[in-house]
Amino acid sequence: MKLSLIKTLLLFTAITLLWSNFSFAAGIQYNMRVDGLACPFCAYGIEKKFTKTEGVDSVDIDLQKGLVIVKTREGKTFREEKLKEIINDAGFTMKSVTEKDL
Amino acid sequence: MQRVNWPLWGAGALLIIHSSAALAHDPVFGIGPHVLFKNGMEAAAEIYRKKADKKEETGLAFQVAYGITGEWSAGIDVPYSSRNNGTDTSSGLSDLQAFTKYRFWREDSLGLQESAAVMLAINADNADEKADPALGNGATDVITGITYGYESIKSYRWASARYIFPGKNAADFQAGNKWRVDFVAGWRPAPPEYKKPDTVWLLELNGEITDKAELNGNSLMNTGGTEWFLSPGIFWTTRNFAIKSGIQVPVASDLNGTQDKSDYRFKATFEWHL
Repeated sequence: MKLSLIKTLLLFTAITLLWSNFSFAAGIQYNMRVDGLACPFCAYGIEKKFTKTEGVDSVDIDLQKGLVIVKTREGKTFREEKLKEIINDAGFTMKSVTEKDL
Repeated sequence: MQRVNWPLWGAGALLIIHSSAALAHDPVFGIGPHVLFKNGMEAAAEIYRKKADKKEETGLAFQVAYGITGEWSAGIDVPYSSRNNGTDTSSGLSDLQAFTKYRFWREDSLGLQESAAVMLAINADNADEKADPALGNGATDVITGITYGYESIKSYRWASARYIFPGKNAADFQAGNKWRVDFVAGWRPAPPEYKKPDTVWLLELNGEITDKAELNGNSLMNTGGTEWFLSPGIFWTTRNFAIKSGIQVPVASDLNGTQDKSDYRFKATFEWHL
């Protein structure tokens, strides 16, 4: 009886870990080099534009490096032109972008 | 000493205080080229106070602005004012203002944005110009302006010029046309980090050159002239909330005839970006 309970708990833990791993692995991280970032208050527009976009999981900004990091959820991808458009609508200029699977 | 009658002073005061159309990371008294992000909203509340001898004005204004595109914003300003001329006091809604700003040039590089914008504002004639002291000039005024900004992670500088065309009211009174020029420097003592509080210290040089007012086509001698102000200020932000504040201290004055010189002007603005 006790052994059966331990086996069930182990199986449940394994499935949970696998499930969680699958769900995280599906997103993409976009690292954008953005010019014009001179103040955190002004950069808020970038965060606002991305967080209003469906499928975006998180946005982080490094002002010193001119870096905007956007992580998406499963199945959400961006074309480079779309990223440029969002950054431009926020009042800045995207110079380049790299992406990697999460 | 009150040499200029209140309707005239009232007209001038409104044009001075409510022609800012300030947005976001702009100077306190001057204007800068900042606009809102596309579809962005700004809600702001501003308190101001000015004193010239026995004349005092204290006000509260609410401003809402919208980002039509990433380069073009527009909004309205609703001011409430209380005035005292040493003997009488009046208070109520001042002239409403509608404004728009278009950023026609932007040059971005790492940690630096240079840009330039033009602005247009219209002051309505809704305020009670028959109150004593008057709360408006009874005419619609037009304000145009151009501004340049250099904004980097370490320092800022702005330059701007505005020209104000006051309207003529029903009594055939017209306040003098006015130039406002501003030169502003800003210094950020600590490198900024996103989502962390950020402070920028400002020092502005504000000039106002005003023509004589006219009544029935005749120039009024105790109106118009030139005033220059040195204005220390601060811009403090945290995430999407900002506080701007500064005080204008007169440093040079050449007013026509006999007029009361400015003692000081104070302004504090609280802004949210939504």
